[in-house]
Amino acid sequence: MEERKITGQESLEIITAMISRTRSRLNLGDGDIMLMWGYLTVAVTALVWVLITITRSPAVNWLWFLIWIIGGTATPIMVRKKTKVVGAKSYTDRISTAIWTVVGLSSLAAMAMCFGFLFLLQADTWSMMFLFALIIVPFGEIAQGIIIDEKSFMYGGSAGMLIGIFTACCIAGDVPMYAHWYLPLFMLAFVCMMIIPGHILNAKARKAQ
Amino acid sequence: MKELDPLLHSQLRLAVMSVLMNVEEADFVYLREKTESTAGNLSVQLDKLAAAGYITVEKGFSGRKTRTVCRVTPAGRAAFVAYVDTLREYLNL
Repeated sequence: MEERKITGQESLEIITAMISRTRSRLNLGDGDIMLMWGYLTVAVTALVWVLITITRSPAVNWLWFLIWIIGGTATPIMVRKKTKVVGAKSYTDRISTAIWTVVGLSSLAAMAMCFGFLFLLQADTWSMMFLFALIIVPFGEIAQGIIIDEKSFMYGGSAGMLIGIFTACCIAGDVPMYAHWYLPLFMLAFVCMMIIPGHILNAKARKAQ
Repeated sequence: MKELDPLLHSQLRLAVMSVLMNVEEADFVYLREKTESTAGNLSVQLDKLAAAGYITVEKGFSGRKTRTVCRVTPAGRAAFVAYVDTLREYLNL
């Protein structure tokens, strides 16, 4: 493109062409962060499930922190890499980042609260973290689905939230959440919420390219 | 009838502003790809837009490589909107 004077009609054509070139909302690898969280959560849950079944030791539950340590370290790296590869940041990106930052910070607050209850009151409130993962995270996902107009996020998030509401009822009704049925349900929620939508998003981005 | 802003009424500068109006920020490589321009020409036009206060140009590093990030300013946004309004009048849209 050269620098030259143009007619009104040409101006209009340039504006239209540039809008259409920057409009593509999908980029290759957009679903990667979701896939990372999805597979990580499913893998750690499966590990906890197997070890709890074999050892019956509650100490196995400390392995849950692997999700936060690995996911919390990998996410900023992946976000930085994505911005670098795409070369531009849209308003949608900013809103999505804000939503997931709120989800991330509230998860830290929830974790701190659970530790507080454990050390100060000797009360085990960790089941609340399941509730967090299946209410707040799906809420963030549904919101992002609405922003980027991606139905798989809305359906996946809704499935996760339904399991979250079921979890809330179990906690409120003192229904024991035994590992042999609850952990597979938890994994199913993450398959619906993160893994399936992540693959759908990447497939759509590949097609759009 | 109002006159079209001469700074925007140029092929490459208008293309750059059109791209930047659609994103929050864009780097030099992205702008070069979308506008299909040469690095030298784009650089000159970015300087002109920045001198007019229509965009900000921030030079930084991404790893070991330099990365130039451009953003449209409120003045640039207003100028673009005014340009499009005048264009509509010209074309009777």
